[in-house]
Amino acid sequence: MYSIETKSLTKSFGDLVAVNDISFSVEKGEIFGFLGPNGAGKSTTMMIFTTLLKPTNGNALVGGFDVLKNPKQVRENIGFVQQETTVDEYLSGRENLLLQAKLNHIPKNEINQRIDEVLDLIELSDKQDEAVVTYSGGMRKRLDIAGGLLHHPRVLFLDEPTVGLDIQTRRKIWQYIKKIHTQFDMTIFLTTHYMEEADSLCDRIGIIDHGKIQVIDTPKNMKNDLGNEIVSLVIESNSNYDSFLLELKKIEFIKKINEDDSKLTLFTSNGTEVIPQIFQISSELGIKIKSISLTQPTLDDVFISYTGHEIRDDDSKFNRRREHAKMKRLRQ
Amino acid sequence: MNTIAYDAYTIFWRELKRYKKSRSGVLIRLIQPAIWIIVVGNIFSETQPLIQSVGFEGEYIEFMAPGVIILTAIFTSIFGGVNTLWDRRYGFMNKALTSPISRSAIAVGKMSAISLIAALQASLIIGIALAIGVTFPNPLMIIPIMGIVILFSLGFSGISVTLAATAKSQETFWGMINLLGMPLFMLSPALFPLELLPDWLAVIAKLNPVTYTILLVRELMTGVSEGGVPILLSVGVIFAFVIAMVAIASYVFTREVNKPF
Repeated sequence: MYSIETKSLTKSFGDLVAVNDISFSVEKGEIFGFLGPNGAGKSTTMMIFTTLLKPTNGNALVGGFDVLKNPKQVRENIGFVQQETTVDEYLSGRENLLLQAKLNHIPKNEINQRIDEVLDLIELSDKQDEAVVTYSGGMRKRLDIAGGLLHHPRVLFLDEPTVGLDIQTRRKIWQYIKKIHTQFDMTIFLTTHYMEEADSLCDRIGIIDHGKIQVIDTPKNMKNDLGNEIVSLVIESNSNYDSFLLELKKIEFIKKINEDDSKLTLFTSNGTEVIPQIFQISSELGIKIKSISLTQPTLDDVFISYTGHEIRDDDSKFNRRREHAKMKRLRQ
Repeated sequence: MNTIAYDAYTIFWRELKRYKKSRSGVLIRLIQPAIWIIVVGNIFSETQPLIQSVGFEGEYIEFMAPGVIILTAIFTSIFGGVNTLWDRRYGFMNKALTSPISRSAIAVGKMSAISLIAALQASLIIGIALAIGVTFPNPLMIIPIMGIVILFSLGFSGISVTLAATAKSQETFWGMINLLGMPLFMLSPALFPLELLPDWLAVIAKLNPVTYTILLVRELMTGVSEGGVPILLSVGVIFAFVIAMVAIASYVFTREVNKPF
């Protein structure tokens, strides 16, 4: 039984393809994470799943219902916690939840008990009657999440649940998400551009970049696939660069090489034996090595290996232009 | 039908909660109409002979008080839709759109809240009018007057919600509101009787629903019928205006919120 099933999902805005022919399924009870830089298509996909956008092509079933044919049934079965906090600042915490309960048609005689239940879960019971304007960012986010699960949806969507929060608050939110997951046995679909978040929360991760899914697997498998060690090099390039690369590829333990300007990332199954060989090749070709390091693979490295760039790089250069173009189109 | 009413009430409840918590907003919205009735009412007090020429016996300020009551209703309700833009920008709209409530219930809930708020503001202006010496020959008339103000504001909130749903930015919205609000107020017998307008302006004024609302409120307040417009016609025009605006607003709102913002 799948909670989300999608086939050849495509969404374009004019000639900009935000989501490009993606197909995957999320199993019932799973925490599934969409990992990618800003503008990769994560939020667009989530907006299609939550019936806020209509796909240009393909289809999606959420909680067993088609987002195009039965949007109302989809809405009855989902909770959606947006990236921005959306709680009403001038209402109290409890009033915000009351509003959410009414929007989601929770029967009148159950409303109070449900609100008490989630307030207890997110540990805001003692602050419930204070105006949200007095809450900290983390408390607001918790309240927002509580609102999303008040009606016990089958699928809970969390769009960048910890963006803009400090690291302690972020960890705290992760704890709440795990608690929700065990207590309500919900399927959780989240998007994030924090590796650590995807790693610590998700059963499976889909890496998405430029509107395409690059890979879907468990975080553990992804890291294992890269071999168990990574050698990172920063070099001073010269005309022998290409032959340097060629020679490196010949080393038997090296599985994959990623280039990013002067930085080379070598995925290897035996880093300690690889390093002396690198030095030998570089001295033969007169390539100067400025730094070298040996590390265990992290999801960061997984991301680099599938997309060819670091997740933060994308934030600043390419996507700002892309987002800008998108906004311009939408406004016309 | 039942759920639409329940859903509209949910939105209505939220809008009123927000209104209640913004006490400064209540006062700020009163400043402009208070200036009109106190300042303009006195500036034009010497125009009493003009008013008398069309059969109105009282002070000028009593003549223009109904105009200011409706001015309050116009501006409170036509500004009222602006939070639709905030809701879309700050995610409340998406929250509502991903819940099972219907789109038109959101629009209807907003409009009813706006019209009630406009009526509350108008009643405060009636209070100010009474305080500065305007009299009601029959105080019971305040009940039908409030009914008319609520209905009329519902129509204007429809204009506001329609504009807010189509506008992509605050600037567009405020531009449109300014374009509409003042002319609709000035092209009516709010400050001077219809009979004193040049013919071509009188013709335009007679196409304006504000005209009929002011004539009706003035007749209920002062007992003087003006311009030969029967009460039934005025009531009919107001109802037609309200039904048309609510229908247009629900339709446009539903269509626009389904587009990405």
